[in-house]
Amino acid sequence: MNMTGIIFSEMCNDNLNAFTLDRNMAAIPFGGRYRLVDFPLSNMVNSGITNVAVVAKQHYHSLMDHLSKSQEWDLNRKNGGLLILPPFVNGSFSQTHRGKLDDLRNALIYLEDADTPYVLLADAHVIYNLDYRLVLQSHIDSGCDITLAATCQTEATQEPYGIVMEAGDDLRATSFAVDTQAAPGAYTGMGVCIMSREKLIQVVRDYTARGSYDLYRDFVQAQFNQGNLSINVYHFQDVVLHIRNAEEYIANNLSLTQPEIASALFRTDAPIYTRVHDEVPAYYGMDCDVSGCIIADGCIIEGSAQHCVISRGVRIGKGAVVKDCIIMQGSVVGEGAVLEHVVVDKWATISAGTELKGAPNSPVIIRKGATV
Amino acid sequence: MLLAGGQGSRLYVLTENTAKPAVPFGGKYRIIDFSLSNCVNSGIDTVGILTQYQPLELNDYIGNGQPWDLNRNFGGAHVLPPYTKTSNNEWYKGTANAIYQNIPFIERYQPEYVVILSGDHIYKMDYSKMLQFHKEKGAECTIAVITVDPEDATRMGIMSTDENNAITDFEEKPAHPKSNQASMGVYIFTWEVLKQYLIEDEADPNSENDFGKNVIPAFLRDGRRAFAYPFDGYWKDVGTLGSLWDANMDLLDPNDPLDMRNPRFKVYSRNYASPSTLLAPGSKVSNSFVAEGCRIEGTVENSVLYTGCVVEAGASVSGAVVMPNTVVKRDSKVHYAIVGEGCTIESGVTIGLRPEERGEEAWGISVIGHGKTIPTGTVIKPKEIV
Repeated sequence: MNMTGIIFSEMCNDNLNAFTLDRNMAAIPFGGRYRLVDFPLSNMVNSGITNVAVVAKQHYHSLMDHLSKSQEWDLNRKNGGLLILPPFVNGSFSQTHRGKLDDLRNALIYLEDADTPYVLLADAHVIYNLDYRLVLQSHIDSGCDITLAATCQTEATQEPYGIVMEAGDDLRATSFAVDTQAAPGAYTGMGVCIMSREKLIQVVRDYTARGSYDLYRDFVQAQFNQGNLSINVYHFQDVVLHIRNAEEYIANNLSLTQPEIASALFRTDAPIYTRVHDEVPAYYGMDCDVSGCIIADGCIIEGSAQHCVISRGVRIGKGAVVKDCIIMQGSVVGEGAVLEHVVVDKWATISAGTELKGAPNSPVIIRKGATV
Repeated sequence: MLLAGGQGSRLYVLTENTAKPAVPFGGKYRIIDFSLSNCVNSGIDTVGILTQYQPLELNDYIGNGQPWDLNRNFGGAHVLPPYTKTSNNEWYKGTANAIYQNIPFIERYQPEYVVILSGDHIYKMDYSKMLQFHKEKGAECTIAVITVDPEDATRMGIMSTDENNAITDFEEKPAHPKSNQASMGVYIFTWEVLKQYLIEDEADPNSENDFGKNVIPAFLRDGRRAFAYPFDGYWKDVGTLGSLWDANMDLLDPNDPLDMRNPRFKVYSRNYASPSTLLAPGSKVSNSFVAEGCRIEGTVENSVLYTGCVVEAGASVSGAVVMPNTVVKRDSKVHYAIVGEGCTIESGVTIGLRPEERGEEAWGISVIGHGKTIPTGTVIKPKEIV
């Protein structure tokens, strides 16, 4: 394969601090049985990429635990395979990890060692199902310096996007901005970037030497504005879910209960892989009432659940009513408990009869392992 | 040594193109997962899997043994089909002959004891406890036994024992059973002794080369130390369509007789990457076991749905076992049935009847073989096999 993949594992950690106290962004549970990193990682595997590094900065225990069974992604290889790049400090360069250039500085040895003409960069907080070979082909055909995958906005956005571009019919960027809102018709980046490996190594060396750390602002934007860099836009026209804060995390997680979104992300010809837990199939009790939910293996559902994402091994007791909730792995909702707009992190216990009600824009969040 | 070459002819269409141990079971498993997981959970790290009948699917399923933690540098899972030799080329003639032909495999690992299992029973058992019993009794052969109803005893290998659990008599499928202690098809042998008997059995031209019919009787005839190890957990031979359906339905028992949820004794299986199950608005699911990757829009009750099934709006599935990747389309009814892997039930089909709907005619479970497409409007009667 002619691409090496690099996944940045914690771009929005701070905005999701309710879930990132003891795990990093990429290890946040999503869709009942996945963690965010599964999506870019599976996309890479499905695109034939066998050389993948995941850059980690802090709290990467969960991430390492999750990725340690690299065979689940078919990345237990003699040549290439999966590598986690934890931070390290050496004599001339002490890590601060302020931006992607810092991360890539840490990955320099890996990049120099890689034997591919191109490098693919991906973020763990943007969810989609995409064959990166199409992006690479578009990059090669365009002859541009870099290619960024993006979707076209149909309406103005409140939440700023990391990359906002304008482009004509030829899909060459005519403007490039970082961390800003997008107008209708603008292209918003998906965190997917392809460029030549040699060029990237040179950029990382030059720019980190001058104290720069932000790949898109300090390098791409600066060079583009000076007319020294051509940007090809790969126009992706399917479902993309950005997870930049807790509200988006919850809304996008719950959006998987819509069949059209689920079928766009979970395709039989390009499956999303994750770590296997060997749980038994879910059991639905005599009087349960479940609709508009996604439910993973190992659950015992005896109460009622509407519009929820329920992870592996969750128990919902008799008479409990759970609405618009995300219940993570191994948590227990006691008999007769009533939960609305609640996110229950892993291994928590909601005692019988408890009532917890949040609102769509301010959910109740129960910490990992807590007992209510 | 796991005997997985059986045809399972009484499962009819379900074993047309696949060996019985590879038949799907319990939502996400195949029958062989139970004995394989038992091995691993008992601390056995070297397992020979003897295949013969339709091995393609089984070989593929076992692969390098990784899902069961049997991808080892030393030992691990080995699929052992019959092979040609310089002097005689033959299939596995019987259970004992299958082990006899694999003496070189066993000798590579120089074991003190060998566990002989069959890959077509549903049960969870810690063989290390049975081995402990074998050692304590100073046994050369230990057979696991389970108490059965007298009417079932005529179909099984029946053991009589003294007060010390020593086997005094063994009869294969007796017309008039002397006891209700039936062999589970789980044997532990002291390897040096078994090897000698296998060689003698092979030399006997009148032998059927079968453990139950020949080897065990020879042990008893010679006064070898043979003991019965009583097992009181759940055990089911899923050799018939009825017992396969029953064993699936047992999973819905709230008392969990099979102890499926024991985190220290999991049943492992090869997992395919399928997303969590989606229960669409308007779906109604009750008293059912549903694996991952399903999409349910209709009604499912008292059923076991395997990985990747679809039940469309208006469709109703009850009392049914629906194997992986089968689609039940709009307004179809599947009642009291086993539907094989990868079937398409087109819209408006009726399979089987609810017990309360049946008239005078014969009633029982309907069975659809793997990969069948049932055209719109078809009616499949109870007990019909397609």
